[in-house]
Amino acid sequence: MKNELYNRLSAPLKKIGLSPLSVAAFILLALFPFVSPNAYITKLGITCIMWGTLAMGFDFSVGYINVSNWGYAGLMGLGAYVSALLLKFFDITPWAGMIIAGCTAAAIGFVIAVLTMRMDAMFTALLAWFVGIVLQNIVTALPEITRGAMGLNVKPIFRGASPTPYYYLILAICILTFCVLHIFVNSKFGFSFKALGQDIEAAKAIGISPFKYRTINFVVSCFVAGLVGGFYGHYIGVLSPNVLGTKNVVQILVIAYIGGRGSIWGPLLASFLLMPIFESMNSLVEIKYIIYGLVLIISMIFFPGGICKLPEKVRQIIKDRKK
Amino acid sequence: MLNILLSGILRGGMYMLIALGLALVYGVMGIPNFAHGEYYLFGAYATYFALTYLGVSPVIAILIGAAVGFIFGCIIERLTFAPLRKRNTGEWVTNAFMIGAGIQLIIQNGVQYLFTANYYGVTQLFEGGIKLGGINVSYDRIVAFAIAIAALALFWLFLKKTKTGISILAVADDEVGAMLMGVDIKKIHTLTYGMSSMLAALAGGALISMTPAYPLMGTAPNLAAWFTVILVGVGNLSAVAVGGLMVGIIEVTATYFFGAQWQNVVSLGIIIIILIFKPNGLFGRKSKV
Repeated sequence: MKNELYNRLSAPLKKIGLSPLSVAAFILLALFPFVSPNAYITKLGITCIMWGTLAMGFDFSVGYINVSNWGYAGLMGLGAYVSALLLKFFDITPWAGMIIAGCTAAAIGFVIAVLTMRMDAMFTALLAWFVGIVLQNIVTALPEITRGAMGLNVKPIFRGASPTPYYYLILAICILTFCVLHIFVNSKFGFSFKALGQDIEAAKAIGISPFKYRTINFVVSCFVAGLVGGFYGHYIGVLSPNVLGTKNVVQILVIAYIGGRGSIWGPLLASFLLMPIFESMNSLVEIKYIIYGLVLIISMIFFPGGICKLPEKVRQIIKDRKK
Repeated sequence: MLNILLSGILRGGMYMLIALGLALVYGVMGIPNFAHGEYYLFGAYATYFALTYLGVSPVIAILIGAAVGFIFGCIIERLTFAPLRKRNTGEWVTNAFMIGAGIQLIIQNGVQYLFTANYYGVTQLFEGGIKLGGINVSYDRIVAFAIAIAALALFWLFLKKTKTGISILAVADDEVGAMLMGVDIKKIHTLTYGMSSMLAALAGGALISMTPAYPLMGTAPNLAAWFTVILVGVGNLSAVAVGGLMVGIIEVTATYFFGAQWQNVVSLGIIIIILIFKPNGLFGRKSKV
């Protein structure tokens, strides 16, 4: 009886990329600002959702086509600067600015993909890393436009000091990203992506073009980076070239890898578990990054599956017990 | 013009050393070593401390730097890549890349924690200089270049003439085949990684009077080494020497004409051109999927 209800609910939801469980989780998230005791906690919620969304976008590439995008923070920072500068110089509303930011990042992602997707995934990672560094250099080298290392003040989207509107905006972006990525993954694209991620030669043999599908995947993933970046700039208020740095890439990939590859929901969940811990360690400066490094190495060696493989493992253990 | 060419070649000598280690580790172990610049850092710090606290002669100090690089390289390989190799279930290249990133984070921030973000450098190792075609070149740069060339020659002899060196090349060529012929793969892996770190540390030590030691010093050589490897083609050891010189000249030229902040932009432009017209690198073999 219970199962039947669950099935009846999940069929239509699956079409828009959701499941009853994720709907429940998102409803809980939507109620969060009402129970949040103060602005600081709401802001922490924004941070979790924002990095979680970035990690989902990152996972879409790394978990499905096995391409890790080392320029992810570069693209995100690019999005932030694009939206901020459009508002400053051309008076373009941030709503359009964020979309344009996403498209700019997607365009750069398209160029990277066209250049490297015919080759080993390592080349994509390296070129993306290079592009990230070069974007950072360009932002620093053009102080007349971007104010370089002095920091660019970005106008906010909403009036007033309350973080609640930002919370709902990023939640909307997060849910939208979640749905779109899931629709992709459940469609025939998803199977092609997975096939390419697991064994390129075999995928090619059954007629899946690595170039085409990997490029599509990569561009979508880059769009997410730019979109969230656009939001980030208006939310944080001050941008500096450090946003584009490798340290932010590492933060995203620590979340994505601990969440687990190839699940979309894993990285989002991991962000809620990890970001509060990371934020509370901000005063530790270097130690924080040493811990990141250790976590990354240990999780690579011992738990390459991440959080999203845990239910499977638990089920396996229960099964073994029953025997 | 001659000035640019000369300083490019002198800079390129060091890139040869760093990029050779990177290419070797990728060829033998399949690790895209993201932490390669950090061994350069080890060399620089070790040489600095040997110079100032032990008071040894510069050449000995540089050798100590190289030894420290070798030891740390071996230890780190044993602690990270060896267990990963044992437990890995697939996607070796990606996982190894991530581990490299982790090592880089730990070393950069660990060094910053221990020695703060200050610069540790010496003004010069050897006094004086000579005139080359109307340009003053300090002895330091010449010694550094000589060390690079000598180390390259020695290393090449080691790879081609000794039994261990041939084993390394054999593993790079065909791991299973080498194992069947009785090569101890684990030992070769540790040794290769140690050697590659040693070459990078040697470069870091030899350049101590030009680039002082500081926590983020490994980033630029890491980038340059990857640039070299992509330029000449992944898995092509002998062409790395030419590539190193080319990268040195390209960087110096770009700095001269456009300024230091645009140097990486020019490098990226060249990489894009290479990827469009010769995706396997200038002297590369196959790498397509």
